[in-house]
Amino acid sequence: MLDRELKKGSAELIILSIVEPQPRHGYEISKLIETRSAGTLKFHVASLYPLLYRLEERGWLQGRWVERPGERRRRFYSLTTEGGRVLARQRETWKTFVHAMGLVTGVDHV
Amino acid sequence: MSDPASRNGPPMAAPANDWASYVRPRLSSLRLSPTRESEIIEELSQHLEERYEELRRDGSGADEARRLAIEELLEPEALALFMRSLRQANAPRPITPGAPRRRLLADLALDLRYAIRMLRKQPGFAAAAVITLALGIGANSAIFALVDATLLRPLPLPAPDRLVMLAERTDAVRTSPISPLNLRDWQERNRSFEVVAGFTPNVGSMVMAGADAGAETVARQWVTAGFFDALGVRPIVGRTFLASDDIQDSNVVVLSEGFWRSRFGADPGIVATDIRLDGTLYTVVGVAPDEAHLLGRTALWAMTPIHGAPPGARRAYFFQGIGRLQPGVTLEAADADLSAVAATLAREFPQTNEGRGVTLEPMDEALIGGELRQTAMLFLGVVAFVLLICCANVANLLLARATGRTRELAVRTALGADRARVARQLVTESVVLAFLGGVLGLGLGAAILDAAPALLPEGLLPPAVSLQFDRRLVAFCAGAALLVGLLFGLAPAWQATRIAPAQALAANGRTTTGSGTRLRSALVGGQIATAVLLLFGAGLLLRTLLAVEGADPGYRAERVLTMVVDPHSSRYRTDAARLQFYEAVTDEVLAIPGVRGVAWATTLPLGPSFEGTSFFDIVGDPPPAESQPPSADYQIVSTTYFDTLEVPIVAGRGFDGRDIADGLPVCLVNEAFVRRYLQGRSPVGLQVALRPTPDAPAVVREIVGVARQVKGQPNETEDLVQVYVPLAQDTPGDIFLMMRPAAGRAEALAPSVRSAIGRIDKDQIVGVRNVQTLEDVAWAATGRHRFRAVLVMAFAGLALVLAMVGVFGVLAYSVQQRTRDFAVRRALGATTADVCRTVIGSALPVIAAGAAVGLGLSAILGRLLATLLFGVEPLDGLTFALVLAVLALTTAAAIAGPARKATRIDPAVALRAD
Repeated sequence: MLDRELKKGSAELIILSIVEPQPRHGYEISKLIETRSAGTLKFHVASLYPLLYRLEERGWLQGRWVERPGERRRRFYSLTTEGGRVLARQRETWKTFVHAMGLVTGVDHV
Repeated sequence: MSDPASRNGPPMAAPANDWASYVRPRLSSLRLSPTRESEIIEELSQHLEERYEELRRDGSGADEARRLAIEELLEPEALALFMRSLRQANAPRPITPGAPRRRLLADLALDLRYAIRMLRKQPGFAAAAVITLALGIGANSAIFALVDATLLRPLPLPAPDRLVMLAERTDAVRTSPISPLNLRDWQERNRSFEVVAGFTPNVGSMVMAGADAGAETVARQWVTAGFFDALGVRPIVGRTFLASDDIQDSNVVVLSEGFWRSRFGADPGIVATDIRLDGTLYTVVGVAPDEAHLLGRTALWAMTPIHGAPPGARRAYFFQGIGRLQPGVTLEAADADLSAVAATLAREFPQTNEGRGVTLEPMDEALIGGELRQTAMLFLGVVAFVLLICCANVANLLLARATGRTRELAVRTALGADRARVARQLVTESVVLAFLGGVLGLGLGAAILDAAPALLPEGLLPPAVSLQFDRRLVAFCAGAALLVGLLFGLAPAWQATRIAPAQALAANGRTTTGSGTRLRSALVGGQIATAVLLLFGAGLLLRTLLAVEGADPGYRAERVLTMVVDPHSSRYRTDAARLQFYEAVTDEVLAIPGVRGVAWATTLPLGPSFEGTSFFDIVGDPPPAESQPPSADYQIVSTTYFDTLEVPIVAGRGFDGRDIADGLPVCLVNEAFVRRYLQGRSPVGLQVALRPTPDAPAVVREIVGVARQVKGQPNETEDLVQVYVPLAQDTPGDIFLMMRPAAGRAEALAPSVRSAIGRIDKDQIVGVRNVQTLEDVAWAATGRHRFRAVLVMAFAGLALVLAMVGVFGVLAYSVQQRTRDFAVRRALGATTADVCRTVIGSALPVIAAGAAVGLGLSAILGRLLATLLFGVEPLDGLTFALVLAVLALTTAAAIAGPARKATRIDPAVALRAD
């Protein structure tokens, strides 16, 4: 249950963090979330892409088709300036929230 | 960026699994735009493929891997559910080129909605386009009203094509007035006309005594009994004239509708009452509507009896004839018929009718003269060119915009839209623009027509012609707007749809402008050519106006007041009585303080004449050829005339006290007379025989002097031959009084002159009219030239401004497109001057080509205008030079902005931004 709630509240934060260092395509994003959470968090097609599109509509992400020789073209998502600002703000909020949760529940380091 | 190449992605081969067929149904409920939908399907399919390959690498069988991957799409509706909140979902049914065909009307409605939305998104662009079009269409609609009235609209009478103007024809002149008896015989003997009638062309005035014993002058026209029947005009009240009126020699009049309303309060009881005109009782028999004003404005029509005219009336020529053809009779047949009648009359009355035939002319052609038709056509040509320039400008705006939309259009084409569908969308946008421009233009046209009567020179339009705002004009505007919309919409549509989608998409909407630029350059070249053409025409007309106004009229017009004096014929019946009256008025006016000179004349220089021309031959010379009897402008003047108007006497003497009624008949001639007819002989002492018509009895006069040339018309190319006769020896009933003050304004004399006339005979004050200065007369005489010149100049100015807006637009756009190019040049060391040269160099060929074409066309225009020109050659070099100078200056102004912008491109900024 915790995992579902966390995913719901933090899904945006997670995706923004993943694309922060460099643009990534959808499959790569889903794999990175899975590996970095050691398999705890999984975003499948039906939940990941609607979220990506929503973030794109809000102007936090920018999707762009990129074509490489010998490959199919793929859509890469990068963080926009606005997205960067949102990410910084959400990290701050999240930190505060986690800290408060730790104080209340005694659970450390969610 | 992660390197996708390092992954073991599948090679170029298409995925073996048809993921799209799984994804597509799950998106269908969202009604995404096709572009977006295909993107999403592509992206999700790739994801599923990679997931599938991963599962295969981890050891799953193909079928299992496929199942697992698809399971991740979860429940059938989850994907759509998650995506429902996206703005892109549930878009209204998009305009999808290539989608299954729907009904044409529904498509049209969609196109319209989409077009309006596109235009609302770019209000600046839309406003510029609509205003440009409104200017073009507005000017065109106003001029169309003139063309419609003069060239297209039938006369406002029943069966106007059966109306014919009639005149006598002599060997000398094609149209000569008709004598009453000839008119009567034509009427009785012809077999082609329903009615033949006559009227006096000059509208004179009658003095009408009022019930309050006061008096007023009213305009009247003399007509024969069949006049209204010939026109086909039915009376509003009472009746018109009957043949019995003529036979009974009744004094009857018909009132015009306007006069009846204003003077008699539209009282129907006026019929059968008597009114006193020029001292004689006339019975009002009816009221005629305003259509009867076609042949001249008048307050009333008085019937002239011709039935019982005395035999001598056969040599008195004063009627203009009109006839109504019987149905089915052609003009040629009527001509043959009436010519036969005239030939019979010539045999019966050889003394008067030898060599007199007939001239027939359709009435509409006769009423609307060639000059007016020509002027209307000139204006129509001019405004049509202005409209073309407007179209070119809007087309340019659209082209630039279409280039910006290349990507949008390419995506549609890539998705299967056929060219026609995309083109139709673009054309719809153009037509919407044109419609708005048309509506605004119609308003502008209405405003121009509203103001036009005050601006048109008097006499430019015959009474038959009125400018009207009506359905025809609205239809014209609608037609023009639609045509224009299609015209300027097609170019961008054609250009936008012929670019290959791949090329456009690859270029990312930035630089696929080659053909568009060429098309826009061609349009700008055309605009410049048109502007040059109009400027040249305006220049020629302006120089004509200057020549007309600057020409030496031969007299001094400054500070001379004139008025018509028209003594009652009932009181002043003889020459002697009239002369005595004029002399008494002269003394009384001279007694007014500040009056320096007083004179009388039957002709105003550059103005109207009461006497017209007179035929003459020089006594002792061989008789002139029958077919071309020499004629001269016949002017009756007082002895003071030459002094008062400062017309120099160049030989002999002027008139003086010797030239009295029963003295030796004398005359003066002018310089043109001497040059043309005397072949170096000394004029003084020669005798001339003068007669009002070639057949009238002659009066032999001795030439006592030569007056300097005075212009009769401002633009006469051939000097007018003039003969002056002293007032004492030929004293007319209608005459101009002229006076010059010692100082101050001439107009100030008017009230005291009126009261001076009243002191001589208070009843005559009402006969005084048309009070104006000679300068007013001269100004009015050049009115047509001024009107033409000013109007064409205004249009040429408009055309020039629009063309320069075109130049500016194209250059500004190209500088913007070439920002990177200029930045690279600057980075490589190009100077400001180099950049300027590049910009100017890119504009000059187009401008030069446009100017060259324009000048070439100007040479043709000059020849077409030749008949409207005066004092300037159709290929006037100075005008060419001035046009080029104006073009150079305005072009420099149009180029300056874009060139300046190009020089200010900072390579560091521009290249980094790229």
